[in-house]
Amino acid sequence: MRSLSIVAEGPGRYIHWGVIQISVANLVIIVAMIILFVLALIVPFPSGHGQEADQERRQK
Amino acid sequence: MTTSTGVKSADESTDPGNWTNRLRGWLQGLVPPGEALPDRQPVYVASWIYVFGVLTLSALAVVILSGCVLAIGGVHWWHVSSLGHFVNSVHLWSVELFFGFMVIHLWGKFWMAAWRGKRAMTWITGVVLFGISIGTSFTGFLSQSNFSSQWIAGEGKDGINSTGAGAFFNVLNPGQMLLWHVVLLPLVVVLIVLIHIIQVRRHGVVPPLDADLEG
Amino acid sequence: MTRDRTPDSHDFPTRRYDLAKEFVITLVVVLVLSGGLAAIFSSPDEKPITMSAWAKADPNNLISTAAGELAGTTTSATYGAPYNSNAEGQKLGPIPLQKWGGVRIPIDSADLVLGPLANTSGDPAVSSAVAAWKAAPPAQRTKWATDYVDAIGTAAADGEPATGAGGDPAKAAAGDYGPVPALSAGLLALAKTGGLEGALDSAGNFYGGDTTKSLLLLADGAYLEDQAVAQNLGGDQWGMMNEVGNAPGQPWMWLYTFWYQIKPFSTSDNADVEVWALMMLLTLLLMFLPFIPGLRTIPRWIPIHRLIWRNYYRRSAGRP
Repeated sequence: MRSLSIVAEGPGRYIHWGVIQISVANLVIIVAMIILFVLALIVPFPSGHGQEADQERRQK
Repeated sequence: MTTSTGVKSADESTDPGNWTNRLRGWLQGLVPPGEALPDRQPVYVASWIYVFGVLTLSALAVVILSGCVLAIGGVHWWHVSSLGHFVNSVHLWSVELFFGFMVIHLWGKFWMAAWRGKRAMTWITGVVLFGISIGTSFTGFLSQSNFSSQWIAGEGKDGINSTGAGAFFNVLNPGQMLLWHVVLLPLVVVLIVLIHIIQVRRHGVVPPLDADLEG
Repeated sequence: MTRDRTPDSHDFPTRRYDLAKEFVITLVVVLVLSGGLAAIFSSPDEKPITMSAWAKADPNNLISTAAGELAGTTTSATYGAPYNSNAEGQKLGPIPLQKWGGVRIPIDSADLVLGPLANTSGDPAVSSAVAAWKAAPPAQRTKWATDYVDAIGTAAADGEPATGAGGDPAKAAAGDYGPVPALSAGLLALAKTGGLEGALDSAGNFYGGDTTKSLLLLADGAYLEDQAVAQNLGGDQWGMMNEVGNAPGQPWMWLYTFWYQIKPFSTSDNADVEVWALMMLLTLLLMFLPFIPGLRTIPRWIPIHRLIWRNYYRRSAGRP
């Protein structure tokens, strides 16, 4: 199986912005993490319906 | 006093002089009864952000599992075998996933102020885990026996030597670095993960900010 | 927030949940993701730089480095603890942390050259050069080697003019350098055979396993660094975050490497220990965040939690 060898070949692509220098790979990872975080906050989670949730209070 | 049928009296089960009794008592007291692996959880635990803790844990499991497979082949395996190289790649990507999930987990816990309600130790062990994971990955990079290892060793030694720790922790010594990577640091990581998870099960998932039971 | 009034989580209504199933699902997800990413993107595995490769790619630099080891002018020779006492090392303010570690990995830089060569046989030029070096008093040795290093000089770089022979030993001015040219040439020849690493790291103990000497010699030269800088791995290139090629590196090191890019750290002789101390401080702040007023209140001021718990807040608000 041939894998995409984009990670291994050549000196790598970098983005320069002032004092900041970051590889495209690292930037993609960081952006993906931020997107994932935002999605985790806003995408609804399938929870048990409020009315059907059993009420349970622990004995202290 | 033990009876002839071997049934012990009530005094013996709670005898504090008995180390086994005390150990058992301590273990049982770590987590409230039924809370180690409960089949229910508070209704407010209903957001995708909550899965990043268990995702981190699963990623750690894959890191360790792929690491074990690499250990079977030895330190040159991934250079000479395509299967070895693939397992090395799995190890690398599971580490990237581990850090990615862990940091998102950290972000979530920060915005939830999850240290509230006597949960400071949970937070502290989490930060310690983050730091030790970085150290573990560092020793891993040093163990690759390739160009990256050479460069990382040469650069890393300056940082560590400057603190005085380089006299004891020689990043130029792959034999030492490998053993730290596969034995010492994973043991510490697993131990602190256990403490971290026990803390979560002990205190339960932190309630929402300004949660009001009377409301 | 002077008093923590967080209610007990066990007092809240609950609903069914399957933690074990959740773990198994995430485990499968991570296995599939890891395997998939590995299959698609693989991982970099650039061959290490051998002494032989260095000797063939940049022989002048290897000779110049060998002479520098004999002169005691290389980075490792003037490093200080843990290798020697030839420098004070880095300090955190007045605290000599590097020196406090002690010289526990003693390395004599001249030995990086003489060690491998001393066992050479069948090369009369090298054998007599080693003998001549050993017979000479220390001051003479240093003079020979320093003069040879100066005569070789360095190529023009970073706006600085060339010195000596511009880095080319063949063009070095004639002078009294004793056995140093022969020793340097001898090391180059040994490097070309591929035997230098073994001579440094496993001569006498068979098994090797500790590449301290080889790595120090390699790092004293320019070739390793040139290859690294070409791949954006240098210290002032945010290199700590990076990997060869297009591979993802260590994005989590962003803050550690950031400080090296800016003043005062970028121009400080004590940058390493200063950055370490700063990062330790920041880590402690993060660790003890629950106890730090102000910082621990940020989640209240920026209420992202209202998104996370929006269902709960809505239901609670609806209750009389």
